[in-house]
Amino acid sequence: MKTPTESRKLPMPNDAQKRIEYSTCYMCACRCGIKVTFEGANLRFIQGNRDHPVNRGVLCAKGSSGIMKQLSPAKLSKPLKRREGTARGDGIFDEIEWDEALAIVEKRLRTIRDTDPRKLAFFTGRDQMQALTGLWAQQFGTPNWAAHGGFCSVNMAAAGLYTIGYSFWEFGAVDWDRTRYFVLWGVAEDHSSNPIKIGLDKLKRRGAKFVSINPVRTGYSAIADEWVPVRPGTDGLLALSLVHVLLADGAIDYEFLARYTNAPWLVICDPGAPDDGLFARDHESRPLVHDDGAQALTGAVTFGTRVALFGSYTLPDGRTAKTSLTLAAERYLDDAYAPENVAPQCGVDAATIRKLAREMADVAFNETITLPIEWTDAWGNVHPTVTGRPVSMYAMRGIAAHSNGFHTCRALHFIQMLLGALDGPGNFRARAPYPKPIPPKQLPASASVHPRTPLAGSPLGFPMRPEDLAIDADGNPLRIDKAFSWQAPLAAHGMMHMLIANAVAGDPYPIDTLMLFMANMAWNSSMNTTGTREMLRAKDEKGEYRIPFIIVADAFRSEMVAFADLVLPDTTYLERHDAISLLDRPISEADTISDAIRHPLMPLDRDVRPFQDVLVELASRLAFSAFVNPDGTRRYRDYCDFIVRYEKAPGIGFLAGWRGADGKSALVGAPNPRQWDAYIANQSFFEFHLPPALQYYRYANRRYLEFARTAGFITDIEPIVMQLWSEPLQKFRLAGLQQYPGPKPRDAADQARLATYFDPLPFWYPPLADGEVDANAYTLHAITQRPMMMYHSWDSQNAWLRQIVADNHLYMNVQTAAQAGLADEDWIWVESHHAKLRCRLRTMEGCEPNTVWTWNAIAKQPGAWALAADAPEATTAFLLNHLIDEHLPGGAAKFSNSDPVTGQAAWFDLRVRVRKCAADETGVWPQVAALPEQVVPQRLRWGAA
Amino acid sequence: MHAALSVIVFTVLSGAGLGAFAIVAADDLCRAFIARIDPSLPWTVAGSVALVLVVAGLCASTLHLANPKNAWRSATRFRTSWLSREAVFALLFVGVAIAYLALRWTGVGGVPRAVVALLSLLLAWTVIHCTAMIYASLKPIRAWHTPRVPLNYLLLAHASGVVVLVAVLRIQGTGSTTLRAIAIALVVAAALAKWDYRRYLAGDTARVTLEAALGVAQGVRPAGAPATVAARLLDVGHSRGTFLTREFGVTPTPRNRAVALWAMALGTYAIPLAWLASGVRSPAMAVGACIVMLAGLFAERWLFFVEARHTVRLYHGEHRV
Amino acid sequence: MKLGLVIDLDTCVGCHACATACKEWNGASAISGPLTDDSPYGADPTGVWFNRVRHYEVGEYPGCKTINFPMSCLHCEDAACVSVCPTGASYKREDGIVLVDQDRCMGCNLCAWACPYGARELDPASGTMKKCTLCVDRIYDTALPVEEREPACVLACPTHARHFGDFEDPQSKVSKLTAERQGFGLLGELDYKPVNRYLPPRVPPVTAPAPAPEAASAGPLSRLIARARLALAG
Repeated sequence: MKTPTESRKLPMPNDAQKRIEYSTCYMCACRCGIKVTFEGANLRFIQGNRDHPVNRGVLCAKGSSGIMKQLSPAKLSKPLKRREGTARGDGIFDEIEWDEALAIVEKRLRTIRDTDPRKLAFFTGRDQMQALTGLWAQQFGTPNWAAHGGFCSVNMAAAGLYTIGYSFWEFGAVDWDRTRYFVLWGVAEDHSSNPIKIGLDKLKRRGAKFVSINPVRTGYSAIADEWVPVRPGTDGLLALSLVHVLLADGAIDYEFLARYTNAPWLVICDPGAPDDGLFARDHESRPLVHDDGAQALTGAVTFGTRVALFGSYTLPDGRTAKTSLTLAAERYLDDAYAPENVAPQCGVDAATIRKLAREMADVAFNETITLPIEWTDAWGNVHPTVTGRPVSMYAMRGIAAHSNGFHTCRALHFIQMLLGALDGPGNFRARAPYPKPIPPKQLPASASVHPRTPLAGSPLGFPMRPEDLAIDADGNPLRIDKAFSWQAPLAAHGMMHMLIANAVAGDPYPIDTLMLFMANMAWNSSMNTTGTREMLRAKDEKGEYRIPFIIVADAFRSEMVAFADLVLPDTTYLERHDAISLLDRPISEADTISDAIRHPLMPLDRDVRPFQDVLVELASRLAFSAFVNPDGTRRYRDYCDFIVRYEKAPGIGFLAGWRGADGKSALVGAPNPRQWDAYIANQSFFEFHLPPALQYYRYANRRYLEFARTAGFITDIEPIVMQLWSEPLQKFRLAGLQQYPGPKPRDAADQARLATYFDPLPFWYPPLADGEVDANAYTLHAITQRPMMMYHSWDSQNAWLRQIVADNHLYMNVQTAAQAGLADEDWIWVESHHAKLRCRLRTMEGCEPNTVWTWNAIAKQPGAWALAADAPEATTAFLLNHLIDEHLPGGAAKFSNSDPVTGQAAWFDLRVRVRKCAADETGVWPQVAALPEQVVPQRLRWGAA
Repeated sequence: MHAALSVIVFTVLSGAGLGAFAIVAADDLCRAFIARIDPSLPWTVAGSVALVLVVAGLCASTLHLANPKNAWRSATRFRTSWLSREAVFALLFVGVAIAYLALRWTGVGGVPRAVVALLSLLLAWTVIHCTAMIYASLKPIRAWHTPRVPLNYLLLAHASGVVVLVAVLRIQGTGSTTLRAIAIALVVAAALAKWDYRRYLAGDTARVTLEAALGVAQGVRPAGAPATVAARLLDVGHSRGTFLTREFGVTPTPRNRAVALWAMALGTYAIPLAWLASGVRSPAMAVGACIVMLAGLFAERWLFFVEARHTVRLYHGEHRV
Repeated sequence: MKLGLVIDLDTCVGCHACATACKEWNGASAISGPLTDDSPYGADPTGVWFNRVRHYEVGEYPGCKTINFPMSCLHCEDAACVSVCPTGASYKREDGIVLVDQDRCMGCNLCAWACPYGARELDPASGTMKKCTLCVDRIYDTALPVEEREPACVLACPTHARHFGDFEDPQSKVSKLTAERQGFGLLGELDYKPVNRYLPPRVPPVTAPAPAPEAASAGPLSRLIARARLALAG
């Protein structure tokens, strides 16, 4: 019986005081566009901006909860100085004025800069302004700068930038509208979350197949058409077995390989020689190929050259050379990579491996897309259509966070290259300003350290040979984190996870001041958390802190804030200017070049300052050359002024939109004093649509390359040739083998690592720790995932989000648990070779049987983030980090627990065992002393009129 | 279900009061047709005690309201809401009951008193039925959605009411063998009904499963899996409690449940039956019997709530309700 | 009119955007805001939400599926929550939306008991029952651009797994989706005639198993080389 209906009057919104603003979200690295509604002075509603290229109107849970972020009592409100007589880490501060705070910092930094700039270590965490902070560090003259990529996902960036010219992580995007087969590797949440969500829906509506390769079936994997539960750390084996099948079937794109990759380049085969494994080159230093038409070796290759993809040839000097593809095929066709042989180790059966490879090939070669778009290749030929092999992939942390992640990611790019599935319709495509040369032309300028002198270039870069390392004449690391040393030659994002341990050990040298921005190193961003906290407090024989001074800049009262000697409070994202710049971490999509801003939407209600303004202020006071006029006067008033008027190169600034004196130029143009206004008038973002002829195969698309040069993305218009065989890697290997005619490692352990891991072709090896740790004792792989509603440590202060996730369990496969006699909610000991912890267990079906996992970063120190000391985050949540050592086990040499190629922190190499607690062993362990509690409301009635 | 103390007190006290009053009124009517009305004082006292119980219970019931200032509106949806009906009939009953007692206290008899007695009897039964139907009309709660519930309420109201009556008479130094026989019959009947109810509780009829709640048979399952495949909760979506977990997530521990079952069996049925059968006249024992029965009823009502498993529990991970 | 939502279980990734967008909109809505949160920074964080996302697994490893399951009021045609309400606070509108009049509710909880889906929650500060309003103050607000006159949860959902419309109109998006994808109501056997529809996961595309290549006497590398020659010759 239907319910009778009636109507009653309802209150409708009062629009009288409504104000709408547009800005950019800040909760993760997605940088979605937001539309913010105010009612009078009050925040009313934050939603996605329908017109924004990244999110097109949608907004995730974190962004939708922005109001609670803004209203969090964990916000810092004034500069803080550690009280005299109190210990670092106790979190006891006195409020001071900005003048005093800046004076303290200026004095200390000036002393450092005048004597030994290396003594300043400036590292940034989850910020999104690395172009500015990197410039600042370069200008200060310290090589000891990086953001957090070294412990986050540098493996993805580096593998891509050394192989295809763009990368997973942030320099590429899937063509969701056209792809017909999509494989997601090792992604739980992560960049670039909302575009992936929007895209997956598109795939499903079009009936395209979505395969997810992941040990856990949650999140994106929940909706995958096929879930492939792989054993953590073995994705590379699986990927190379797919390569094996593709090669064995001959299901590869010969033309693509011939034209766009270095497959035909001839590799010198002369073991023992100093150029063994390097490319044979002509007198103009161009790599040699065999021209099957002319039946001769040549370095002059054009689109139409009939290159030999396979073969062994004799060089003019009589030595043998093989094509890159021949060497690759020889390796991957070996039985070692046959599906039957890899199946037991990676946990994916042989039939599935073959099926996946054949499905991919079937889609790539039988569902080809042809678009009626005329385009011109890098050699000047005009093509009437664009062809697409609509297979695409995306990969992230599950691949990156292993000590074999770099090679694994290169293996994924191999699959893409073999299928001809890169930057075509339906592929994983580049995002401007990429593609760039392989690798980008930027070398770490760590050698040129002098007082009061900027570095010759950026502190970070892409070494191509041993000469490019940041080491001294004796081979010792020049950087505090030892990035770009023999221990991590291609550490393109630095190694922030080694910073504190090295500084405290004074290895390679002690520092004076550690300046951290938005980085929670005293908690979830470190391995060996309790050890790291002790290191931050460690004192020398004289009773002085081994890290003499710690400056922390942050918006919220994190665990790291408690360890500061000086706290510089930052604003929230709704209270300041930001430039989400093409020079930084771009938000472009595949077909649009975009950047965006944030601007203050509401007045400041406390004595905090945007950290960028603080940096500009310090740079001006310390008279950095880029920040002063020729006459020595201060050049930039503030951050806004800096963003508008600073030019990296003539006409190239931080923001690409509305340049030129008249504001009508895009990408390149003179500074426009009204640029910020132009952005604000345009919903805080700028979008430039690439014309169709410039959208595809950009690495070999002449009109695009010319355009990119004009826009300042690249400096020449040579085609960007994808690298199967990586010559830079081989050079480092030669150095390890002591054959390289240049710098070579002296330490036998370093030599062995280079000789083994700098293989110019991707290969799979077990995670490094496995060799030292007894795999029979620690049988389980332990990993974390990021939940979709919490981003690292940054959401527990949010009153809405923490209702969803305030604690965490360790998840285990149901059968694995049953065999171990464990049940849901059991208290368990989880032990690694390094440490143990106590937490509660939950079982689930969708978990690879040899894997346990938990949500990342939920646990909090009691009292941090304005939470009560008895909050679940402090009493029942746990950090897996405690179990992870920042150094590899065993051996005399202290190698970091990282990928030997890039230094990427190997979080997911962790091996553990689990056992049930005794009846009286309950409660989370280890526990940490509480910080002073703040007074916070016990009840919230947000929205009350 | 969350067992609100105020609701337990309300239904137990009011139930006993209404049952007792109904018997007083029924007895009066019977005498009215058989013989001249004899204004028996102990009965009037008993009826008054019954009314006090009803009013006390009704007052207690308002305590369970989160926003009592709107309680005056509770008669609005009489047409569809058993709670509205209960409110209306309860108020009517109190008015009629006061009138009836006034007639008795002032010694008025005859047709007016018979009419008012009949009215109060019908109203008492109606209020008991409405109270029970508040619960029995709820489809999501299998433990309540059965005609056994109004039957049990009716029988327990009368069983507890008649025990109170016998006790009141004993305290006033008098008694009635007829009443004692009726009491024994009512308590036995109530016990049988409860036994039948508990068999129903433990049975398999009309169960709803998690799979049904999610729509597994409608396709919410892995491709190719049979429609009989099993489901389980992975994550309830919040780390601590909600209104739903507090209101519907109560699960008695096996120990507490066992204690309550024993308390119910002994307190509501066995001990009162023994006391009735013994014929003991001691006022102190009478008071004791009432207290024991009320305690047993509190346990019975507590079980009534905490053993009721609402379908929303399925969405919180329970496999079957 | 029969307004309601379609929720697509094939694309819901369980991100809780719908839950928080709802909380945000309705928290400051004059209809039933604010939505109280207790112990917001304390030991027992709890609050009033109209929409919650829960997560389930169906089947066994490795063939199991994870289902993310948002639930909010289904605006039933035969709404027991309305008929049991003694004060008339709970009512159904002509457009189908079931609402709780905050001025009339006495907080007796009966409607919450009557709702099999747990769609209603008591706000401890106001003592009244609150629930999904289908953002009635958005869908009729002519001051909003037309494309934003939708419930907050629908606008926010990043996978577009939520759709809003009139089920009485066979041409509406919600009607068509329900028909195309066999959308179903929850616990239909209880006969509340829920209006919201859930779309079951799509059956994945069937991929024809690719045939194995013909066996050949030559080894795989030779075959590869031969094919390369062929491919590049033309």
